[in-house]
Amino acid sequence: MSKNSVFAALLLGSVFAAGGAMAADPEVYKIGGIFAMTGASPHYGKVMSGGAQLAVDEINAKGGIDGTKLQLVVEDHKSGSAQAAVAGMNRLIDVEGVKAVLPSFSTVTLATMPIGDQKKILMLNGGGVSAQTVGTSPYMFNIRSMASDLAGGIAHRAADQGAKKLAQIAIKSEFGDATIAATTKAWEGMGLKMVAAEQFQADAANIDTQVAKLRASQPDAIANWPTTPQAGLAVKRLRELGMKQPVYCMEWTAEDSKVAGKHAEGVEVVTDYFAATDENPWSKRFAEAYKAKFGDMPDFYAANYYEGVYVIAELIRRSKAKGGDYYTGERLVQALWENPTFDSVYGKTLTFRKNGVAQKPVAVFRLENGEPKFVKFTSAE
Amino acid sequence: MDLLIQLTLNGLFNGAHFALLAMGFALIFGTTGVVHFAYGPVYAVGAYIVWALVALAGLPFWAAVILGVAATAAFGVASYLFIYRPFEIGGSPPFVVLVASLGLFIVLKNLIGIVFGTDVKTVDSVAYDVHFVGDAFFTTVQVGQVLAALLVGCGIALFLRASRYGKAIRAMADNREMATVIGIDTKRLSILVFALGSAVSAVAGSLVLLRDGLNPNMGFGAVFVAFVAVIVGGVGSLRGAVIAGFLLAFVQSLGMWQIPTEWQNTIVFVVLFGFLLARPSGIVRRA
Amino acid sequence: MEYLAHVLVMVCLYGILATSFNLLIGFGGIFALAHATFYASGAYAAGILATKLGIGFPFTMLAGMVVTAAIGLLVAFPAMRVGSHYLVVITLALQAITIDVLMNSKPLTGGPDGIPGIPPVSLFGTPLNNPVAFLPLAAVMAALCCAVAWRLGASPFGRSLRAMRENEAAAQAVGKNLVRMKLVVFALSAGLASVAGSLVAHYIAFVNPESFTIEETILILAMVILGGMGNLWGSLAGAAILVLLPEGLKFVHVPGDIADMVRQVIYGVVLIVILRLRPEGLFPETVFRPPTGAVLPTVPANGPVSAVVRAEGAPGEVVVSAKALAKSFGGIKAVKDLTIDLRRGEIVGLIGPNGAGKTTAFNLLSGFLRPTGGSILYHGRDLTKLKPHEVVTAGLARSFQDLKLFTKLSVVENILVSLPRQPGDNLLDVYLRPGLVRRAERENVARALEIASFVGLLAKADEVAANLSYAEEKLLVIARLLATGADVLLLDEPLSGLDTGTVERICGVLRDLARANKAICIIEHNLEVIRGVCDEIVFIDEGRVLTKGPPDTLMRDRELAERYFG
Repeated sequence: MSKNSVFAALLLGSVFAAGGAMAADPEVYKIGGIFAMTGASPHYGKVMSGGAQLAVDEINAKGGIDGTKLQLVVEDHKSGSAQAAVAGMNRLIDVEGVKAVLPSFSTVTLATMPIGDQKKILMLNGGGVSAQTVGTSPYMFNIRSMASDLAGGIAHRAADQGAKKLAQIAIKSEFGDATIAATTKAWEGMGLKMVAAEQFQADAANIDTQVAKLRASQPDAIANWPTTPQAGLAVKRLRELGMKQPVYCMEWTAEDSKVAGKHAEGVEVVTDYFAATDENPWSKRFAEAYKAKFGDMPDFYAANYYEGVYVIAELIRRSKAKGGDYYTGERLVQALWENPTFDSVYGKTLTFRKNGVAQKPVAVFRLENGEPKFVKFTSAE
Repeated sequence: MDLLIQLTLNGLFNGAHFALLAMGFALIFGTTGVVHFAYGPVYAVGAYIVWALVALAGLPFWAAVILGVAATAAFGVASYLFIYRPFEIGGSPPFVVLVASLGLFIVLKNLIGIVFGTDVKTVDSVAYDVHFVGDAFFTTVQVGQVLAALLVGCGIALFLRASRYGKAIRAMADNREMATVIGIDTKRLSILVFALGSAVSAVAGSLVLLRDGLNPNMGFGAVFVAFVAVIVGGVGSLRGAVIAGFLLAFVQSLGMWQIPTEWQNTIVFVVLFGFLLARPSGIVRRA
Repeated sequence: MEYLAHVLVMVCLYGILATSFNLLIGFGGIFALAHATFYASGAYAAGILATKLGIGFPFTMLAGMVVTAAIGLLVAFPAMRVGSHYLVVITLALQAITIDVLMNSKPLTGGPDGIPGIPPVSLFGTPLNNPVAFLPLAAVMAALCCAVAWRLGASPFGRSLRAMRENEAAAQAVGKNLVRMKLVVFALSAGLASVAGSLVAHYIAFVNPESFTIEETILILAMVILGGMGNLWGSLAGAAILVLLPEGLKFVHVPGDIADMVRQVIYGVVLIVILRLRPEGLFPETVFRPPTGAVLPTVPANGPVSAVVRAEGAPGEVVVSAKALAKSFGGIKAVKDLTIDLRRGEIVGLIGPNGAGKTTAFNLLSGFLRPTGGSILYHGRDLTKLKPHEVVTAGLARSFQDLKLFTKLSVVENILVSLPRQPGDNLLDVYLRPGLVRRAERENVARALEIASFVGLLAKADEVAANLSYAEEKLLVIARLLATGADVLLLDEPLSGLDTGTVERICGVLRDLARANKAICIIEHNLEVIRGVCDEIVFIDEGRVLTKGPPDTLMRDRELAERYFG
């Protein structure tokens, strides 16, 4: 091979490489979702994928991002299997070529995070609440308030209403553990007494024993930490056993209202709770569209993943506007930090803090006729 | 003290539920030897059918239960005829049948999710009361669980002892080959016990619908409890299965009196472990 | 590419899990459903050691193997006491306890959060932190684990395991120490499973309790059953199918949010269909044929007496002397006062009506039952406290009325497995001194064939025992008994149900054995036979010796004739 031809080859190569770097738009922007589509709690997968899909459809109906459509690719983690999640994550990156992934469940997020970090894939979690997911990777973001943040808000709310002795019930899960620890710290920090903390296995046949022990501890108020739908079941049991104390939750969905039935009345939820209100037209529009598509009102999980897709779409749009090889995880993250504030379906805006957790308005809601009624905004910390 | 009374009551009510599940499973497993893992989702299907009849078709609860129980029996029979029977004819070893049952389990569980949706199913049209003994509370549904366990238990016991079919079932449970030799139609009896056992599980399922609500994954815990109760009770003994069902519930409940509840499974299984090691052939030993 | 590599890594890991599980259930016949516990133990050992103590890969794995093998030994204990369904429930219980412990021991295991941030395996300074880089390691480890499992399966120890699976009592009666075997196979199976655990921990860099639930054990069980029990290639195939099938189904496009549930339904249906087509699993049990071919031509067609080791000592010398043996079961005295002597070169016939206590007497003499009174002296050594396999090793072996052959083993394997003092029964020798094991095996095969020839089964040497005629089965029982090398042989109804030709043949064998200086005791009902072969008759009824003496004298006894011979 002559020197010339080597030179030509190099030139040609660099032209191709530059062409790659210029990165024409992909045919479609694929966004990955790793959800609980089967297994012990497939309902999470249904609402999360539903919310995300709705957002994708809405954005596409308006022409996508400068004419390029979005596509949601869902992988099943079988309600918490780390291995299924890792397989899904690899498939999303390798086969589907996604640059942003929406994981769910803390353990799944923890298992897939190293891959996202290594492959520079933006990860936006709207489900898991474990503090372990915070601050470990520059590519990891949370769009849901952390349990530890909400716990403080609830402790203050209960104390404001005159409770001196608090009892907690939770699932034996990363969520339950994190919440119990954070609440105990906040509660005892105010010099008040924690009288019980009962936990049950996620697949427990019943929770009667735990509720009986809770009742025997004679609390002034009950912190009810199980996730959907056991939150509703716990409320039903507490009330059936004649306990009239105020009950506080940080997670409550329509499922819980269904399970608890009339017993849900008066339960308070302190969270970045999604509620469609007249003051917030986007929330109303979203709720109506969701109901039209799936037949149910959306819960905050649906809202989080719906919002997550909008955030990612916005990042792609911003990144593209700056040109170059814009469609990479690195560029998406860069675009996020350039302006960490986004419109929120919860009302007004959400802002990512330095640790990657989005700050949303946290409010106290009271359940009336199974529907949450806004009481007041409160501080998360 | 109040806690102790409450825990005892809880043990009684959950024991009734476990006993019902165990009776159904014992009938099937004890007679045919099929480790009917899909008993769990069949039970779930029954409860979902009752739900659909009440919530969608607007039937009164009692009518829905009757229809639901019948439908579940049919479901159980179908699972025998289409899944297990061919393996039985082929003389497959029990563990192959178990894995086939596992396949059926996966199919049914996911079909429930596809057909009925993955959300929790409850009925709110059936009202029930709360009662109290001293400071301890219980609901009418829980009383219903105990009554159901009693009625079903007595009914089955009577059937097994007094009727021609019942005696044949007992003979088959004792010795399948001998039963065939003396001219008992084991296929027909298998159909019968699959129908009966599935029907019993649907009774338990209907009450759980009122008590806790339904989800597609409810079958796993149910078949696990039923299987454990039947083995602990002594294979082939209905009485043993019932006693073991109550025993499990009482340990699960009373065992937590002074122990943190997150160790519930451990306590139950440590007791079970010790029990089986001390008495390796179950509560009711067979000659 | 990475995705494909990931899927293949999973096939390797599940291949390790399924083959190691197959050793337990397919070879040992031990249905201990706690395999995910071993898997978890390996994974957590790696996670804890790597994150808390900063220990690196091969050492985390080795430590995990040791810890997990110890847990395997613990699980083995219930397996000694209970079998079948009970063991299934107990081990499922253990599995549930494991999850509780992992969930609740937060300082050590991280609780439900698990342990994130486990450092990757580093080879030659390169971190294997992606599927493509990790795959070669996973493949090599899987190959190693399979080789270890295969070596075990093909070794004399594997043969003993399969014999134990076929019939525990018979395995004991040919001198196998079941306790030791179960401990060894549990420790090995658990240790191998923990390798998969260490690998998955370093590979995914995260462990949590939910990855090791009962469902995981059930999945591994399904792989073993699907592939075929007792076939290690089958386990690999089962693992590959059950890993690849759901991944493959992901490429089947199903619209809507029910897609994954539809795929699971298809998965379940495929599982059922495969089993319907191949009810014994995809592959039949592996036949580990002993190398008979090389030896066969050198064995004479109808072996002479020399094939049997002549017992040392003078003819007529008392070898076994049982005095005042008693055994009661919950108040019922099955044997009250049994005194019996067995002498070299003599055949004693134990006779008596049904329920007289004849078989109980054999059970007492052979250690299967512990007497509640009396003594058994063998060459002056007390046997009453010994376990059955120790009694056999001492020199006293027995057969069973219901034969208890190892039906899935071939004729020559039935005999081989009964030969005493095989180096191949010791796993250390199997792995560390393969030459010794191979030489011993060749000698043993020759010996087994000589014994087969002696009883006239040489032509059937490679036939599976299940295919033998009844007469051949009875001959095999004797061959197996001979193979133990015992000089005292107790035969429980060796002649019942046979045609006269075969009876004559077996009687000839018995006489040959007596001539070779063995002490023999038989339970028999056929008086003609007894008269023909026995030197002495011991008549027992209601658990005690009524009378004894030479056959001719005894049969003239009028009272006896009325009570027994009618």
